[in-house]
Amino acid sequence: MLPEFLDFSMRTRVMGSAGLVRELGDQVSRIGGTKAFVVSDRTLEKLGLVGRAKDSLTAGGVAVAGEFLDVPPNSDVSVVERAAAAASGAGGNVLVAIGGGSVIDTAKGMNMVLSKGGALMDYQGLGLINEPLGKLVAVPTTAGTGSEVTNMAVIKDQAARVKYSFTSPYLGPDLAVLDPEMTLGLPPGLTASTGMDALTHAVEAYISLSANPVSDALALYAVKVINEWLPEATHEGFNVEARYWMLIGSNLAGAAFSNALVGCVHAMAHALGGLFDVPHGLANSILLAPGLEYNLDFAAARIADLAPSFGVRPAGPAEETARAVIEAVRSLAKECGLPARLRDAGVREDGLAEAAEAAAMDGAIFTNPRPATAEELLVMFRKTF
Amino acid sequence: MAVFKDASEVYECIGGLFRRAMTDPLSQKVADSKIAVRFNYSEPDSAITVDAKNPPPGQPYAIYEGETSAKPDVVMTMKADIAHQFWLGKVNLVAALAKGQMKAVGPIQSIIKLIPVIKPAFELYPQYLKEIGRSDLVQ
Repeated sequence: MLPEFLDFSMRTRVMGSAGLVRELGDQVSRIGGTKAFVVSDRTLEKLGLVGRAKDSLTAGGVAVAGEFLDVPPNSDVSVVERAAAAASGAGGNVLVAIGGGSVIDTAKGMNMVLSKGGALMDYQGLGLINEPLGKLVAVPTTAGTGSEVTNMAVIKDQAARVKYSFTSPYLGPDLAVLDPEMTLGLPPGLTASTGMDALTHAVEAYISLSANPVSDALALYAVKVINEWLPEATHEGFNVEARYWMLIGSNLAGAAFSNALVGCVHAMAHALGGLFDVPHGLANSILLAPGLEYNLDFAAARIADLAPSFGVRPAGPAEETARAVIEAVRSLAKECGLPARLRDAGVREDGLAEAAEAAAMDGAIFTNPRPATAEELLVMFRKTF
Repeated sequence: MAVFKDASEVYECIGGLFRRAMTDPLSQKVADSKIAVRFNYSEPDSAITVDAKNPPPGQPYAIYEGETSAKPDVVMTMKADIAHQFWLGKVNLVAALAKGQMKAVGPIQSIIKLIPVIKPAFELYPQYLKEIGRSDLVQ
């Protein structure tokens, strides 16, 4: 089959090694950064990770012009505006984000406002940012969102209970520094759920209606790496090798889904996050296997393609192999100690119908292999409850 | 050479599509979206706003040609030629956005919400052009 169109972009230079954050200043300096504005959160500050990065910046000849350390677990439009105002006042010519998806997405939002002017919401749309923004460096402290390499940012409006997506090929950071030492000691539950988030990015990117040959290659290897290393990273939190490979898996999955987009699992997870504050990775983990089952009649061959990456021996018709892949997904989540039912993740049964309505209108649903109505999603929610 | 010689042809063909859609089941989908969309076209310069947020009484949506005070949720900008090809179902939306042939301003959720609403119009547009004697534009 001749694909109709290919569009793949990834503007981020990715560097990785244990202890690399000690060279953060040198690398920021190499891309022309002389005055950094640091973006992070209070937990990471208490853990000493922000200090470690700032010491390295200073040692590398990069002045720290200022910092914003009040990024909440789910970034917010007002937080981005406040942080951008602080950065604007402090000066600086490079943003350095140290944290998980919320921190990095906040920095992306700040970068739009600082580089283009106006308000964050001016950049809601498609095809609006067509030139490079200011310099941005990301140091992920979780292995899940892949935000350090994606072309998008998700920022919540807490008051309106809505998550806004921003997208442009120029949103991706200039440099991603993958240092497993920055993720050592992350609690098992968080390691497992963020890792399953990364796995969901890879799997949904691979079966997405917008998948392309480049994203396919990245997604397949991402699944293999995450499947191999997630249990070890979860149960041996200080295993540097496992932490390194999970950062790689998350990064590959991020590059894949940033271009191929995702599907119904993410649509449902977004809805549950908005209504019940279910952590995104946990919702994805619970819903990935049911989501794949839902898509079985429309994407059996693509799901079966994932078998070698899950260590499943392809056998018999594609549907049979695909079912074995789905079981492998369930086993991985179980091995990592994650729940399989929505009721164990804080979801209320009386809210499922509203969640299904929200998921049916979520942007992610439109690249799902099988069309999904609110009624069909509600059936899936109820079966998984 | 541009498909439409002036704005009045844009309004006759593309504006007419929206008027024709009012008598098609498609109109209910547009009404249900409750979104106001403005299409800004160039070559020739023209603009059409379809407002399902504030419809006139008894109608699924309002159509405004040219300038209007109606406030859109989403603004789509493109050449009129691209719009014509789009309504014929010959433009890959993702590709057009990636190539810079189209630009969309507004909440991405609202833009995406439009996709299933728009799709049935791809069949209606060539049919409508034939009805108004513009088969020459259906290639």
